[in-house]
Order: sequence, then C-alpha cells, then structure tokens
Amino acid sequence: MGKQPDISDDYLLNYLDGSLNPEEQNALKQTLISNQRAKERLEELRTIHTFLKSVRIEETSKNFTERVINRLHQPQSSGYLTRNGILLLAGALLTIGLASLLLSSGMFDTVSSINLNQLGIPNTYFERNLPAIPFNGRLIVNVVILANIALAFIVLDRTVLKPWFERRREMHQM
Amino acid sequence: MTTEQEFAIIDQVLAGHQFAYAELVDQYKNYGFTLALKILNDRAEAEEATQDAFVKAYHHLKDFNRNSKFSTWFYRIVFNTAVSYKRKQKGVLQSIEKTDVRLYAESQSQLEKDDKKKFITAAMAILNEADRLALTLFYLKEHSLEEIAEITGMQPNTVKVRIHRARQRLADELTRLLKKEALTL
Repeated sequence: MGKQPDISDDYLLNYLDGSLNPEEQNALKQTLISNQRAKERLEELRTIHTFLKSVRIEETSKNFTERVINRLHQPQSSGYLTRNGILLLAGALLTIGLASLLLSSGMFDTVSSINLNQLGIPNTYFERNLPAIPFNGRLIVNVVILANIALAFIVLDRTVLKPWFERRREMHQM
Repeated sequence: MTTEQEFAIIDQVLAGHQFAYAELVDQYKNYGFTLALKILNDRAEAEEATQDAFVKAYHHLKDFNRNSKFSTWFYRIVFNTAVSYKRKQKGVLQSIEKTDVRLYAESQSQLEKDDKKKFITAAMAILNEADRLALTLFYLKEHSLEEIAEITGMQPNTVKVRIHRARQRLADELTRLLKKEALTL
C-alpha cells in the first residue's frame, strides 16, 4: 500500500464545521475513500463534534431570580471581613507600639527571674524553699513583637491588599 | 430582547428601579448558569456563582460601557466568578488519571462499556476553563468568535485555533481512554 497523504486535523475540523466549500468537501470525501488513517481520525473528531453539539442550555432553579433580587442589597460579606481585618490589624499594631515603648523604657530590664517564694503560698506544704525561675523579659517581649509583626503582615495581605487587587482585576476585566 | 431594550432596562435600573433588573436576570440566567456549570461541574455551586455574577453585574452596572452586548459583558463576569469558585473548590486539581479510575469503577457496574459520553466528559478535565467555555460558546452558536474572545479573555485571532486545538486534544484523550479501557477488558 502506498504512503497516504496527511490530512490535517484543522482541515477535518473545518469539514465538520461546514467551513469547506462544496468542491473541497467532494475532494475530501474522495480522499477519505482510500485514506484509512484520515477516515479514522475524522471519526474520532466527529465523536467529539457530535458530543459538543449536544450541549444544551441548563435551567436554574425556579426561585433563582427572586433570590438574586433579594441579594442585591444585602451587605457584602467581604465588607465585614475587611472591617474585622482592619480592627485586628489595628490591634496588632497597637500591641507592637506598646510593647516597643515599654521595652525602650527599660521596664523588663530589671526583672530576671520569678521567685516562687514570693507568691504567698504557705510554706507548711514545702520542706525547702521553692526555686527562682529564670525569666528573660526582654526576650519574651521581643518574641511577642515579632509574632505581632508577622500577624500584621498576614492580616494586611488577606483583608486589605488581596481584596483590593482582586477588585482592581475585576474592574479591569469588565 | 434587542440591544435597545436591554439598554432601556439598564437605564431604568441605574435610575433606581431595582426590580427592572429581574428582566435581565430572567433573560440571561439559564445561559449564564450553563456556562458556570461547564466550568464548575456542580449544579449548586454553578447556581451560586451565577447569582454572585448577577449581583456583581448589578453593582458595576454603571461601569458597563455599552460597546458590547450586555450578555457578552455579563458572561465575562460569569466566567471570572466561576473561575474564582473553581480555585476555591476542594480537590480542584483532580487528575485525569483519578477520573479514569472512578469512571472504570462506574463503567463496570452501572454504565454501558461503550458509553463514549462519559469518557468525553472525563476527557474535558484536561482542558482549561477558558478552552472549555470557548467550546461551549462555539457550539451554542449564539456568539461570534470576537464575542467568545471577549468573554474568555482570549486574543480574537486565536479563538478559532484554540477551539480546534481543544477538540484535537479531546479526540486524542478519548482515543487514549478507550484504548486503556480495551486493555482492561
């Protein structure tokens, strides 16, 4: 059997779409009689074409329009999220500011340990003096500040920057 | 509904007659829902996304510049909204291989083994949302290639090519799936 000429998928799809003129259609039909590979490929593409042609308009539920109209003036949930996020962000910044202020005033420099004997627990329960727990106030406050900075960045991204960029993108796409 | 009638309704809505919007919703809800369903493959989510799209369109109606049909502008919003929903869907990155396994299980017990429709539905998963939507719009035959480009965000001169390539990929994938099934028989 001689080598069969290739017929491109584009050409076959144009045939299925009815984009070929009558002469081209007849020529293709003649070619398909002897070109088994093209015939098989046409059938593969025709299966897809027939399936896609069967696409039909789906129907929404009965009270769809009513629900849309009811939602038109409902507050957008993202508004609440943004407000809460901004409050959380303000809280984190306030904590960072206060902690930094107290830290710079040297408030945590003098406290280096917690003496359990000074807690007022009656020593009838203990035979020996309770130990003093080493305590680095500066380190703990620094960790709190760092955690709040991380929290502030996350909140800023999720509730302010991301919604803002999404709105901008939507506006741009409309 | 003619374009002039649509614009008249839009004018009424912008003038504060909110209930006039119901006419636009009634006109485009089924088509919009069909497009969302093609992307999401879930009726409840598609309906939610379509409602969201209508609410967004309402709030941005003053930005509609009337250079295109309302439907083209609205279906673009449906597309963007459905794609956002898709990103939020759990297990969105379900691979075609996983789909095959589920389909084989179904095909063994419930379905006819030569049911190509199921395999094409599975094969559709290899296409991206824009290609899937372009195919749907193309076969519904209500939009020009330029309008399909506007809705899906494609370049107008590449829409036809993308539709051809999408069908080629579907045909290839269907052949692969059928061969795979034949091997399991």
